[in-house]
Amino acid sequence: MQSTAGSHPGSDGRVWLLAALVGIPALLAASLTFAGLLRLLPVDMWWQALGSADFTDPRQLLFRHAFLPRVAVSVLAGAALGLAGVLLQQVLRNPLAEPTTIGTNAGASVALTIATLYAPWMLEQGREWVALAGGALTTLVVFALARGRSFSPIAIIIGGLVVSLTCSSASSMLMAANREYSAELFIWQSGSLVQNGDAVLFKLAPWLVLSGIASFLLIRPLRLLDLSDESAASLGTRPIVTRLAGMAVAVALSALVVAAVGVISFVALAAPALARLAGARTLRQRMVWAPFAGAALLWLTDRLVQILPFASEIPAGTATAFLGAPLLFLLLPKMRTTPEGDGAVPPAVRRRNGWAWLLPAFIATTVLLCVVLVLGRGADGWYWASTTELANLLPLRAPRVVVALSAGVMLALAGTLMQRMTGNPMAAPEVLGISGGASLGALLLFVMTSDFNRPAMLAAGLVGAMASLALISPTGNRQALAPDRLLLAGVAVATMASAFSAVVLAGGDPRLDTLIAWLSGSTYTATVADAAIAAVTAILLLAIVPLTARWLEILPLGEATTRALGLGLDRARVILLVLVSVPTAVATLVIGPLSFVGLMAPHMARMLGFQRALPQLFASALLGGLILVSADWAGRMLIFPWQIPAGLLAALVGGPYFMVLMWKRRQ
Amino acid sequence: MSLGIMPIAVADAEGYRDWVAAPELPAGCLDLGSRGEPNLELLMELKPDLITGAYGFGLDPTPFMRIAALHMVPFYDGTEAPYRQAENESLKLGQKLGREVEAERLIQQTAATIAEARRRLALQAKHPLAVVSMFDDRHVRVYGKGSLLQDVLDLLDITNAWTGPTDSWGFAMMGIEELVAIGEARVVSLDPIPPHVKIRIEQSSLWANLPCVKAGNVVTIPPAWPFGGLASAARFASFLGQV
Repeated sequence: MQSTAGSHPGSDGRVWLLAALVGIPALLAASLTFAGLLRLLPVDMWWQALGSADFTDPRQLLFRHAFLPRVAVSVLAGAALGLAGVLLQQVLRNPLAEPTTIGTNAGASVALTIATLYAPWMLEQGREWVALAGGALTTLVVFALARGRSFSPIAIIIGGLVVSLTCSSASSMLMAANREYSAELFIWQSGSLVQNGDAVLFKLAPWLVLSGIASFLLIRPLRLLDLSDESAASLGTRPIVTRLAGMAVAVALSALVVAAVGVISFVALAAPALARLAGARTLRQRMVWAPFAGAALLWLTDRLVQILPFASEIPAGTATAFLGAPLLFLLLPKMRTTPEGDGAVPPAVRRRNGWAWLLPAFIATTVLLCVVLVLGRGADGWYWASTTELANLLPLRAPRVVVALSAGVMLALAGTLMQRMTGNPMAAPEVLGISGGASLGALLLFVMTSDFNRPAMLAAGLVGAMASLALISPTGNRQALAPDRLLLAGVAVATMASAFSAVVLAGGDPRLDTLIAWLSGSTYTATVADAAIAAVTAILLLAIVPLTARWLEILPLGEATTRALGLGLDRARVILLVLVSVPTAVATLVIGPLSFVGLMAPHMARMLGFQRALPQLFASALLGGLILVSADWAGRMLIFPWQIPAGLLAALVGGPYFMVLMWKRRQ
Repeated sequence: MSLGIMPIAVADAEGYRDWVAAPELPAGCLDLGSRGEPNLELLMELKPDLITGAYGFGLDPTPFMRIAALHMVPFYDGTEAPYRQAENESLKLGQKLGREVEAERLIQQTAATIAEARRRLALQAKHPLAVVSMFDDRHVRVYGKGSLLQDVLDLLDITNAWTGPTDSWGFAMMGIEELVAIGEARVVSLDPIPPHVKIRIEQSSLWANLPCVKAGNVVTIPPAWPFGGLASAARFASFLGQV
């Protein structure tokens, strides 16, 4: 059996192609390394510097304890990631699986953030165990979420994205509250391969060898995962055990890399893809070649960032994220999607026409608004503001409340529109990368101009949102399973946006505090003008959206039905996409790119029984507003006088909510 | 505080205690929350007479002006050397508060402290010296041209061993291997260094073999805020004098 799977026609010629595809980047990297070494030290002294270096000569010291360890670590980390990628992709039957997309890296990062800030003694002997624990935990969560849906690629990627977003909002919240203590984390997070000796190298190497041996022992059972679980079981293996073992090795590899050098994204995705592209078909071939490809890629990237003409060096981890996100787009059309058939059918809940509920809900909202405007904390504890105090406090509180309310309404409406339009219950502006696109636009503006005002930011955000919509919609429309691919394309945009914000954050601009506050969704800077823009957009949207109700009833029924009913599909989609992107851009600018409100509110509305389009739209708009207003108020009160950004708080609640939702849907 | 007026509240009081340390905050001084987002409602309730802040952090001054008179201190805006600017700004603040005498006294005292440190240092052999902060075990922040600490070094007649490029705040972030460039010069490292970073940097083979480390020329001094005013400058100078 091994031989039938292991050989195929023309495999000899393919080996050459393989060697070339892996060899060319490696050769490039090697020549760059050679040039760098030559500049450092004459060739005839290399051998001496390696064996018995004379450290009074700084050149030899740098050669032996900075340059060579850095090269070696880049090669080792790249190989480790390549292997981890192959293992994960095999175990999860998903060509997009890698430590970043399945949440391992985010878990390791948040664990290290918590340890650095609150239990630094745990890091005295190294970061490995903390990273391992965090990475294993989040991967297990994603694994559990995806298991019930037989590890469908979509379930894994979406689960991974939600877990990552939740973790990263937790990290940024902790870092914002401990700004001066986070410098270490900022540096480490961006994935710099700078070395301070050979300690990391010697720590990484034995682990790598061990993991390599373990994964090659697993080849046979792992290959059986290509069969269906039933047939694999009939051959006497237990697929679940194999999966867990493969995952364990992969998680260990990626957590070790995270602990050693920080988050290096996409190498684990690119290396197996490159190997496959070059013709490595069998698992064994991929397991041999992907580590080589990963090593070559990371080595080359790390050499290239050192010769780039920038004032400060771009960390290798950030560079790979930039190169890798477009790769996701290239891989999308190749992806084998498992039809799930559960996307379009909403869970059967008792139906409610719902109009009767809107009035009490409206009254409840009004009461809540009054409470958050009047109730607050001061130096002597909680108090209800008197009329005179209120006159002073209102200019401070009202813009924040209005902005939160409008942003909640807009995101909830956008989310409802998208879920009905794509027939996919996981669709939301935050998940589809539209928020990501908006923040990407604003970040670009931040980098390119010194004058950074709100209207310009708004325009840039709008352009970003539109661009990302344009980018993802052709990918989504062409295919039969449009909604799923739409989601994946959105993930790629979201990843690019976060990679770019990492570059900006590592840049150390003095205006960084404002940027961090904005990225985490703070209403602190809300002005009357912001509030007016947000409120007007929200009201306009509320007025226009009912006109699309008929489309929204028909679209979830599927394309065939839609066409049969004589609806111009393309026109309807374009109009709806515009209706989604404009309010998303506005809301993203005032509340930040991750809040999950656009995802949560439509579901809550449906679970409350608002099934038909129009009642669902209004109910989720109300709920979205309520969620963000409460999050904003709670954020201002919980750790008074410190403040938690509303977007972060909503994400911290929304992420787990979404996980529970996925967990329930698995039956 | 150097002018004899106690603040009723400051942003990030805990951070101040760890990184700036002196002059010590009075016991009743309230925390206003983070430096990026000081709590406006609390500030309003406290009804301060004057709010002081620094430019360059991207905070919008308008809401603060509604609460009380606002005095902004422009540090590191590139118009003057930081030390000179600190002197001028102390005078301006003194005028605003009706404490001109105290402001003059502060300037003289700072100059005297630096002169005293300079006398002590003159007795020792003159070596170039680099000032760094350490945040992790692979990078250092080194202070150079355009920083307050550079100005103090100049007044102390000490050569800064780091002559490389710096950003607009007068520092550069770099891998520790760059410290090779300063040879066996003395290195003064500012506290606080997180304990786990301290332990891990001692495990670094590159660090242990750097010429300046090998020669035993690295000393640690208590916290002195490199982006501060005259009090920070005096504090830094007197620590150097005791080294």
